[in-house]
Amino acid sequence: MSNHVLPAFITDERLVELYKQMWLIRYFDEKVDQFFAKGMIHGTTHLCVGQEATAAGSIAVLQEKDKITSTHRGHGHCIAKGATVDRMMAELFGKVTGYCKGKGGSMHIADVEKGNLGANGIVGGGIPLAVGAALTSKMKNEGYVVLCFFGDGAANEGSFHESLNLASIWDLPVVFICENNQYGMSGSVKEMFNIENIADRAQAYGIPGKVIDGNDMLEVMNTVYEAVEHARSGKGPVLIEAKTYRWKGHSKSDAKKYRTREEEQEWRKKDPIKRFKEYLIDKGVLTEEKAEQLREEAFQEIEDAVKFAENSPEPSVDTLLEDVYA
Amino acid sequence: MAKEIFMPKLSSTMEVGTLLQWFKEEGESVDIGEPLFEIMTDKINIEVEAYDRGILLKKYFQPDDQIPVNQVIGYIGEPGEKVPDEPPALSEESNEQSGEKTEQSETNEDAVEVKSNENGKVRATPAARRLAKETKVDLRNIVGSGPKGRIHLKDVKQYLETEKAQPKASPLARKIAEHENIDLKALQGSGAGGKVMKQDVINAIQASSQKAQQPEVRKKLSGLRKVVADRMVQSAFTAPHVTLASDIDMTKAIEMRTALLPVVEKQTGFRLTYTDIIIKAVGTALSRFPEVNVHLEHDEIIYKNEVNVGVAVAVKDGLMVPVIKKVEQKGLAAICAEAKDLSKRAREQKLRPDELKGSTFTISNLGMYPIDVFTPIINQPEIAILGVGRTQEKTVVVNGEIVIRPMMTASLSFDHRVIDGAPAAEFLAEVKRILENPYEMIL
Amino acid sequence: MREITYLEAVREAMSQEMRKNEDVYILGEDIGVYGGAFGVTRGMIEEFGPERVRNTPISEAAIAGAAVGSALTGMRPILELQFSDFITIAMDQLVNQAAKLRYMFGGKGKVPMVVRTPAGSGTGAAAQHSQSLEAWMAHIPGLKVVQPSTAYDAKGLLKAAIDDDNPVIFYEHKLLYKTKSHVPEEQYSIPLGKADIKREGKDVTIVATAIMVHKALEAAKELEKEGIDVEIVDPRTLVPLDEETIVESVKKTGRVVVVHEAVKRGGYGGEIASVIAESEAFDYLDAPIKRLGGLPVPIPYNPNLEKAAVPQVPDIIKAVKETVQFK
Repeated sequence: MSNHVLPAFITDERLVELYKQMWLIRYFDEKVDQFFAKGMIHGTTHLCVGQEATAAGSIAVLQEKDKITSTHRGHGHCIAKGATVDRMMAELFGKVTGYCKGKGGSMHIADVEKGNLGANGIVGGGIPLAVGAALTSKMKNEGYVVLCFFGDGAANEGSFHESLNLASIWDLPVVFICENNQYGMSGSVKEMFNIENIADRAQAYGIPGKVIDGNDMLEVMNTVYEAVEHARSGKGPVLIEAKTYRWKGHSKSDAKKYRTREEEQEWRKKDPIKRFKEYLIDKGVLTEEKAEQLREEAFQEIEDAVKFAENSPEPSVDTLLEDVYA
Repeated sequence: MAKEIFMPKLSSTMEVGTLLQWFKEEGESVDIGEPLFEIMTDKINIEVEAYDRGILLKKYFQPDDQIPVNQVIGYIGEPGEKVPDEPPALSEESNEQSGEKTEQSETNEDAVEVKSNENGKVRATPAARRLAKETKVDLRNIVGSGPKGRIHLKDVKQYLETEKAQPKASPLARKIAEHENIDLKALQGSGAGGKVMKQDVINAIQASSQKAQQPEVRKKLSGLRKVVADRMVQSAFTAPHVTLASDIDMTKAIEMRTALLPVVEKQTGFRLTYTDIIIKAVGTALSRFPEVNVHLEHDEIIYKNEVNVGVAVAVKDGLMVPVIKKVEQKGLAAICAEAKDLSKRAREQKLRPDELKGSTFTISNLGMYPIDVFTPIINQPEIAILGVGRTQEKTVVVNGEIVIRPMMTASLSFDHRVIDGAPAAEFLAEVKRILENPYEMIL
Repeated sequence: MREITYLEAVREAMSQEMRKNEDVYILGEDIGVYGGAFGVTRGMIEEFGPERVRNTPISEAAIAGAAVGSALTGMRPILELQFSDFITIAMDQLVNQAAKLRYMFGGKGKVPMVVRTPAGSGTGAAAQHSQSLEAWMAHIPGLKVVQPSTAYDAKGLLKAAIDDDNPVIFYEHKLLYKTKSHVPEEQYSIPLGKADIKREGKDVTIVATAIMVHKALEAAKELEKEGIDVEIVDPRTLVPLDEETIVESVKKTGRVVVVHEAVKRGGYGGEIASVIAESEAFDYLDAPIKRLGGLPVPIPYNPNLEKAAVPQVPDIIKAVKETVQFK
């Protein structure tokens, strides 16, 4: 674990919470994976197992009023931003108690009031939205920052470039976080980029760019905090590239032919949860037992979430046409 | 294997035939060539013969049904053979063939043949359909002005206006009536709302043909009829007839009659008639014109000594002419009584032969009918006859003024072999003069 | 009442609203000192400053997305898309984001934005700058689509669009910018989804949009000489469509010609014709429904060819006469 000084407001209790949160994220996605494998959930989903630190760590350092835009692989972001796993599970089950009343599904979970401007099914689709949200903050002097999550794949979308440029010329309070999990679906970054680090593209827009170990909870928290405060102070956007890895395939139907077992094994060794636990125990914030207990709790919460989702009603067909227009 | 009976295509343009009647019942035997059913198409009624021998197993259609060409309408086969309950659908091939013809007929703007029973198959705009539905008009009766005979709103409106003048009739009734030249207006409809149905038209046809087909009544000329016929022929074709007509002002004659009426009645018990007056006038004139009071026998003119006036009387089946003898010697009352008696007995066929003989001049009175002038045929061997028409108030000019007088036309036919126009005219003029100055008869 | 141009009316609608409502701002390419490609925003940056009249880079995706994001978070942006043809670059943000966020989020969040964009041919701008693509937008649930034909309509409808809490695509026809009509000085709102009968008549209904309303009016004058009395219905809003007004008109006349500049194939006229055919107006039709639209060809550069590619007054006259011939 790197030597980082955490922001003052991250108390030990908070750290412990975050540890559990990471398990919550992992177990949520594991459970979802199981259900999909059994054909019990409709459609498809994109799991962030192995990327818990980028989600939990980044969002941990935000203020209540700060906002996020997420991606199709956004369960972690949503949970980190305060979404409860029961309503999330209900949404995946298509139930009316879900965050989107069953109408959004995995890729569109959002809680606008709580600052979660939504997971997005379009690669790079959320980036301009984040810029727009940051624009509001600036124009209305609301002082919030928008954390814009996207993957390595989105970094090649036109919307990425347009958005970074626009944010940079207007000094908008947005922090762009690229979760580089090495693959844009099946396209490896080695194939799809002519550069080593996506963060280098920040230069093209005259904004700061930083490469971090996305599986290092501490580094994530520290770097993001700095960037967020940079943006909040009106100095403009920052691009952070968090190197990480997704343990599962792109989506349910991914046979992962484009990568090797060895590579996967290598990355699993860098398990962010394990590393965080070690740090916490090392720091004396956590004991093995406590850690185990928290894990159990997280596990149980997911089980409860499933029950909640299962017992929730389906949306009535009458609601089909609701909410098309405001 | 049961054999199909189908609607035959009897002309190159035939698309549909209307079944008029079956000649056989289900279960009856049919021989090849026997008339099996009758159809109507393109204004022609045709009997269709059976092509097969066997039992008529099934009939799928009823009279008045409109059936497309080639449609199976029944089956002939061995008793007990299975045949479908429903008529088999028309095969594609046969449809195609008629389809080709459809193209041709569709380009013929005037002919808009009905293709099926459904109203929906007629081309019509929705607005036209709506109006037709509202007014219970059958679209099949309307000729459309749009492309391919499409019926537009105005076509329906136009139809409704002319329909008001036209009687309600079923399409089949109309077709038959048109063909048979029956006026629908003349028929009583037995359908709903007085609608003329096919049966009404057929009845009408039968009625008129019944009349035409009645054997003519034949009756030989015999009896009195024959006699009259022979005598008429003889007279008309031997004597060259010329007829003179003269209008006679009967004012004074009427006055005289009126005056004498009660007297004569008192004397004879009979009412004095104008005929009686005319008889007397004629008698008087004849006595002054002996050349009229003659007979022609062969080549001889025989001047008669007495004036015997025959008065034609219509009797059953014929004509009789009882004779009043010696008119010049008899007064009006006597003439009146005798005339009445003779005509009565004439009608009763109780005249003696001598009462029918010996006239020297005949009067034929059609004045009780609205007859003015006519050309009576001379009662041979006489040489003239006076026809008397009705007396009618007419406007005449007297002394340069228009007055209304009771006028009567007298028509004198004479035999031009014996007498010429001038003397005949003089005689007639004398008759006129006497009638217009009747008191002269006293002289 | 004074007469102002369509262009001025649009500017006035925006300015009057921006003076009242701090949340309303405009963004787009060259809308600052340049005054917008067609001059619509001239003078506005001077009045409202660069924060509220935001000149943007040529980044249709980003600016559309920025509009969506800011609308989602409390602003009421008006995006000027320089040519409606460029909507293609902004499509994801409009179709996949703006139109769907509220629904996908289960009724949470709203996107109260307006995309104003000049469309149509006749300026010699050729294939990529002359299209009428409103049918694309009309096809997407969650969007509203407006097509005003007069200065008066434009001002009222734009106010209503700005006030609407949903993403509204506001199509302005390039050739209409210079047209004038009497426009009230004060603010007024014309409700979205309400058609306007631009001319009353009894023989045939013409449903026309944008510039075709004007062509239809010209055609109507000519047809009047021949005793054909034309009714012209201007839907003004395509989504939501005022079906009732259209259907009542067709019921009255029994004949209809639908005309728009957009390519006939897959054009919105097909939707209108079908709406009519599916309605009770069907039973009153005394002639087949006719559609007029652009030919299936990219708009050519040559001026005569450019005109020939879209319906003109003689085409409308001919179509009406064909419809009326079985009267």
